[in-house]
Formats: sequence, structure tokens, C-alpha cells
Amino acid sequence: MKSLTHRLFSAFAVAGLLAVASHAAGLQEGHPDLKSIGPLAFGPDGVLFAADTNSAAIFAIATNDTAAGADVKRIAVDGINQKIAALLGTAPDQILINDMVVHPVSHAAYLAISRGRGPDAAPVLMRVTTAGKLEVVSLDQVKFAKAALPDAPSDKPVPAGGRGSNPRQESITDIAYVDGRVIVAGLANEEFSSTLRAVPYPFQTVGGGTTVEIYHGSHGRFETRAPVRTFVSFKVGQESRVLAAYTCTPLVEFAVNELTPGAKVRGRTIAELGNRNRPIDMIVYQKAGKSYLLLANSARGVMKISADNPGAPTNDSIQAPVQDTQNKDMTVETIADWKGIEHLDRLDNSYALVVAKTDSGALNLEARALP
Amino acid sequence: MLACLVFGLGITGGAETASPSSTVSLHWLGDTPAAGRATAEVTGLSASALAKLQSFAADSGRWTEVLAVYAESEGTTAAPNDGATLPPMLGRYRIEGSALRFEPAFPLAAGIVYRAVFNPETLQAAGGAAAAPVVAAYQLPAHRSVESTVVSAVYPSADELPENLLKFYLHFSAPMSRGHIYQHIHLLDGAGQEVELPFLELDQELWDPAMTRLTLLLDPGRIKRGVRPLEEVGSSLQPGHRYTLMIDHAWADAAGEPLRADYRKSFTVTAAERTPPAPADWRVTAPSAGSRGALVVTFPRPMDRALALRLIRVAAPDGRDLDGAVELGDQERRWAFTPATPWSAGAHALVIATTIEDLAGNNISKAFDVDVFEDVQRSLTSETVPLPFAVK
Repeated sequence: MKSLTHRLFSAFAVAGLLAVASHAAGLQEGHPDLKSIGPLAFGPDGVLFAADTNSAAIFAIATNDTAAGADVKRIAVDGINQKIAALLGTAPDQILINDMVVHPVSHAAYLAISRGRGPDAAPVLMRVTTAGKLEVVSLDQVKFAKAALPDAPSDKPVPAGGRGSNPRQESITDIAYVDGRVIVAGLANEEFSSTLRAVPYPFQTVGGGTTVEIYHGSHGRFETRAPVRTFVSFKVGQESRVLAAYTCTPLVEFAVNELTPGAKVRGRTIAELGNRNRPIDMIVYQKAGKSYLLLANSARGVMKISADNPGAPTNDSIQAPVQDTQNKDMTVETIADWKGIEHLDRLDNSYALVVAKTDSGALNLEARALP
Repeated sequence: MLACLVFGLGITGGAETASPSSTVSLHWLGDTPAAGRATAEVTGLSASALAKLQSFAADSGRWTEVLAVYAESEGTTAAPNDGATLPPMLGRYRIEGSALRFEPAFPLAAGIVYRAVFNPETLQAAGGAAAAPVVAAYQLPAHRSVESTVVSAVYPSADELPENLLKFYLHFSAPMSRGHIYQHIHLLDGAGQEVELPFLELDQELWDPAMTRLTLLLDPGRIKRGVRPLEEVGSSLQPGHRYTLMIDHAWADAAGEPLRADYRKSFTVTAAERTPPAPADWRVTAPSAGSRGALVVTFPRPMDRALALRLIRVAAPDGRDLDGAVELGDQERRWAFTPATPWSAGAHALVIATTIEDLAGNNISKAFDVDVFEDVQRSLTSETVPLPFAVK
């Protein structure tokens, strides 16, 4: 998950910082026992949310990284996978970069790393400071909180006759923090079911998954079991919304306050971006007074989608299919020279930070001016 | 215990490498090589050198100027003393007696050469004679280099699969490695040509916790009717045609070894299955009271293996779940339950979760791509449906 509401609108950034004391109060000092580390997102006061699929849990971790960063455009680490491997004492092909997010205040890049590729892989949280220093973020004595997701598979042997030797597992495909809630998208590894959960933060209990029904604008049906690949939050007036990219690349938006346990939420398809495409990351930014969505794809490079209000569907009703590839109010431009983007986040008002794969196969972390 | 010492800078043999002064030496202590634990140790340090080291305590960055360990693997070359290249490995430094020890922060990995470099110059008093760096390398004993892991099974096991098949389960005989897996999974048409992008390539690969089973989803965008990808590029699977799922042996297992061989599963594609499975159509063969015979349920169409094993329970007359063992056979069309204790006479029931799916992802609540508003009469409020049977 990338862009945060309070990064989009400065007024909300202030609101987010005012909430610091109460958010920090819910955290306990200790060692967050992550079994794996996947999607990341920043919340208020530099609290980092890390999704742990193996534990079926979300961790909130205080980063104590509050000094405003220096010249962000200098962030660059060539061959970052090789450097991470060297620091962690292993081979580059044993390093997986699962996600990368930018700290909203310090502008340091936080990376979710797997050291190893088998079941015993070690999760490592790393960061790159704006001075270009690559370091491991120690989790030995930090303030943190953990929210276990419901219906998590048990570590214990399955009871009742030993059936189902492989317990159901749910992969967390993305997380985001919006208005006091962590939104978690999950995909089960047996049933074809995708859930979105809205977990109140500070953590209390985790609500039941909300089934999101997506209207596929181009096919005149509701899709009830569509995996969310990546999403981004934004505001329409005072209402927080989430814009989600699904596996077959429709862009769908829905209101955050509709995500309540047991509710059926109706999403609205606002654009279809075509086939042979795998959405990777999205950010929302503003340039010259206009809003843009930047979407990194596997097949189509990076798409810049222009919309003054990305949350406003052209169809008030979703009863009519979208006729064209994209919404009429949107223009889609492919940024040809942004190739091999594996991770994308917004660095500041003018720059994005990417992990890009070069032709030689090396992974580079670099700041790029927003198109 | 000293283990597996390899020395650099032309110094070979022996258990220790002497520094030019002959009093300071650098070596590795591999106390538990199997667990990847080893410590680099510099011994014989002078009192003045130790005092200088002690002064570094608060400044951990300076330790690496004295002693640094570089992890080198095929394709990487770490050049010490050159800040522009790869950084040294992270670890913990401590002084014990007259020795400086470095404990790596992570277990050492097979196949990597760990090169410890000690720079005596850093600890010398000003004006001392120049001393060359001392190097000692450590390598874990190579793990088995046997290609022993195989694809042990692929489900569905039938050789006829519907056009709208939703997923395969790939079972392996040992834990596998994740990351970039899709380059090893191919769908070939009857002419041996690769079908383009048939699978849903998720960054979050759907492994079980042991990483011996992968859930491989076919791209739902090319299955779900009316969705743009299906309209533009069509279904991956064409009815009446023959295909082969090919797993290429270059896929590494968790130990880094490739599979013993390629795996191929060939199948013929049949018409799409677009209706929800109906338990009322299942044939139940009840055992006799007092026996431990198997309760057998025959499905008219194959069901998803993992879900059929997990989502069907057997309720005793008092409503409690019975303990027992479940087997699935006949290409996932025959479900058999053998109870842990003999059957009692009376009214039993299969309790079936409505989320159980057939091969096309149709579940009892809903066909895979049905419009919920057109088909509300099929929606069920309960999460399970009972299928009663009597034991006599």
C-alpha cells in the first residue's frame, strides 16, 4: 500500500500528527515476533504496519524515525539486492524484496526482506536513509502491537479425524492505513475468496472480513471473489475511499466507512486497463493542481492516469457497463521509460521512489521525478 | 573446534594464519557448522590494541575498519577496503580476554565464502611499521548436491478438465523455494507451443506453511465471462484440445537444488462447468451399525481436493462431529470416511460447508461467475448444508 491520505492533503497531515500521543499509547515495548514480512504501510506518527502472512497478523511498529529527511532525490542504491545480501551474509538470489514504502516524515525507504526463499526464510526489516545508508531496523526492543486476523490457520494438527492436513492459509496481498483503520486485503490459498478487512487502530479486535462485491463495468455482472492486488486511499470531500486494482485490472473504488464486519460493500468500476497485465503498486499525487494516479504494471509499464477526482465514477449507477478501455474523464498515458518497476511509492510532492530491475538483472532503488 | 579453514593472501595450511608480527592471528571457530554458526576471532592482541578497540565500543561503525567479514557468492565480488562496493556482513563484536570476536548476525549459508579481513594497521600506534591485512575464509561443508526433490502429485488428477478450470495444486516431495516461480510453470498446447500468461501470477505465492504445496490459479480474467481479458484474448483452455502442464526441473527446492526431473501432466479440455455443485446429487453409501466400514460419498463431478478434504464433516445423531480418516479417490469423485470408533445406528448427516468448490470454483452458494442479482434464489443463508443419511 502506498499513498496515505494525510500525504495527499496537507490539512490531513496535520490532523495525523495531532493524533500522535494516542496512537503511541497503544504500543508495548518488546520484540515483535514476525514469522514473515510482506506488505507494508505507514500510519500516524511513523508507525509502520507490517503484514505477516505466516502468522496471519498485522504488526504496528514504532519506527522512532521522526527527523525530516534531507534531499530526497539523492536516494539511490544501485544493486540493492546485492548489498542487502552482503549485509545479511547470503547470496543475492536468496534475497526477496517483498515491499517498499517511504516514511512520510523522514522519507527513508523501508523494505520488507526475506532472507532465504524456503519455509525457514528469515523476515528482515531494512531501511535506506535519505543519506543513502542501508541498515537493518532492529526489532529487539521496540514499541509494537499485533492484531491477529480471524479465521487464522492453527499451528496445531487439524482435529476431527486428521482431515485437511494443509490448513487454509490466507496471503495478505496489500495493506493501507486510512482514518484510524488498517485495511487488509487477503486471498485464501484454497477457496477462491478475497477479503478486505478494516481493522481499527489502535488495535482492539479484528472484525470479520467484509465481502466486497465488485461490479465489472465491462461485463455487466458483479464479481464477488476477485483478488485485490494493490490499492490506494484518497479523499472525496470528507469521505475516505479506497481505489483498488484487481487481478484482471479493473480499477474499483469504494467508501471506507462501508467496510464494516459482515457488510456487503458495493464497489464501483471506474476504469479497465486491459489484459495481460498485473498491477503492482499505485500512488496518488498532485501536480499543477491536478490529481494523478500512477500505476505500475507487469506488462504495460507505468500508467499515469489523469483525473481531477480519481474517485468520481462517470457512471452514477453501476448498472451500465463501461464501453471504453477507460473512464471518459480519465486519460491514461503509459510512461515508456519507466521499465521494470517492481515497487513504487511516493517520496514527496515531486518524486517517486522505485525499485527497478535493470536489463542486467540488478535491482536499483532510485528516486525519480513524478511524471 | 576449528573447521573448514581456507586461507587467503597466499597463506595456506595450518590452523591459524599468522600476522606479519607473528603474534596476532585470525581464525574461524565453527562450533556448530550444521546450524551455520561460526565466529571469526582475532587473538594475541596487545594491550594497546585492546585499549584502542575498547574505545570503539560506542561507535560500532569503527569495528569494521579493524575486522570485517565479507560474504562472497558466485556472481558477487566483495572488495574490502573499497567503500564503493559491497558492505561487510552484519554481526556482533565483542572483546574476550585478548581476543576480538565477530559473531555473524545471521546463520551462515552453504555455498558462500565468508572472508574475514583483519586490518592490524588500524590498531597500531602512530608511526608503527606498515602491516598487511590478514585474511581467513570460512565455508560451510557443502550440503547434499543430490537432486532428490520431485513433483509428487498434481491435482486435479483427472485427465479431462473443464475449460473454466480455476486451479491446480502442485505437491512436492520436499519444501521448495519461493520467488520468481512462474518462469518454471508452463502450459503447452497440443503443438507444444506455450500458452501466453494462463496463470494468475501473484507476488504473494500461495504456498502452504511447509512450502510443499503451491496453489496455482488460472487467471480468473480469462475464465469469468464478459470480463475484458476473456473477450480480448480468449480462454487459456479451448474445449476439445489437449494441453500439458509442464513444471521445469530448474525450479530450486528449499535447499537450492533443482528438481530431479521435469514434470508433465497432460489433459483434454471439456466444456465449461458453470452450475453450482448440488449435494442432493451426491450418492451416499452408508456403512452398517457396529462396523468401522467406510462411509462413501460419490460426487457426479470431481471436486476441489483440498476443500473436499477439509470442508465435509460427519455429524453423529447427537450432532457431534465424528473423528475419523478421510480419503479422496477416483479423480476426486469418491470421498470416503473411516470412523475412529464403530458406527452407531441412527440418523447421521454430512455437514458440508457451502464454500466447497468444484474444479471451476463453483461453490454451493454460487456459480463462479454468476450475477448475484439474477440468481438470488440460489443464495443460501447458512454456511453449511446438511446431507442426512441413516446408519442401520
